[in-house]
Amino acid sequence: MGVEGKTYPAVSSVIEPARVAEFARAIGADLGDGVPPTFAAVYSLGATAPYLFGDPDAGVDFAKLLHADQEFEWERHPQLGETVTSRGHVVSDITRRGMRFLTFEAQTTGADGSKICRSRTLFVIRQ
Amino acid sequence: MTKVERVVIFSADQIAAYAEASGDHNPIHLDGDFARSVGLPGVIAHGMLQMGLLASVASDAAGGAGRLRRIYCRFAGMVEPGDTVTFAAEDAGPGKLALSAVNQRGEQVLTKASAEYL
Repeated sequence: MGVEGKTYPAVSSVIEPARVAEFARAIGADLGDGVPPTFAAVYSLGATAPYLFGDPDAGVDFAKLLHADQEFEWERHPQLGETVTSRGHVVSDITRRGMRFLTFEAQTTGADGSKICRSRTLFVIRQ
Repeated sequence: MTKVERVVIFSADQIAAYAEASGDHNPIHLDGDFARSVGLPGVIAHGMLQMGLLASVASDAAGGAGRLRRIYCRFAGMVEPGDTVTFAAEDAGPGKLALSAVNQRGEQVLTKASAEYL
């Protein structure tokens, strides 16, 4: 039901060194250790979720939205300066007892199509 | 492997810096009046800021961020400026870590947290 199965457009982004450095500082990560793993919040989840939030069919009320859980799985981590492509889709969309449970997944690949990251998010929306 | 721990005292500045760095400008993290208007006690930290701190501890336990292959957590409790959260990672078998994040009241703010590494 809802927008279950819906796929959103692919988004390409560059892993900008300055942006990564700012992100690493904000979480106190060691820059010498490469791109912080949860920078996937930017290149994977962050790049794709705006399509879901902006989709009138999905009808997500941002003020009632909770990020309930998060999983990231990596084949590898992106390199500084690399161009990656992420595409989001809705795995499931279930409403139960006045709460809507929306599972959103994003797949990120490199320029050659190789897998980099899978992001899986549970959003809970109070009705 | 020994347990890796990191104690973080959250601040409004740190939350604002994360909003800037991540691009997540949801006003519940930045504007106290807005946060209260949607039933929150005030601004709260991004779940993804907490997970980022958790992942840095997991990376240390794994022997480097590049070795991390999976991380999961449930955002179970709110974290406000002034809260002290202890993030920890410990061995849970080959290539596996058990993770936790506990506030100054002993409440788990992240639950079911785990990671895998190469």
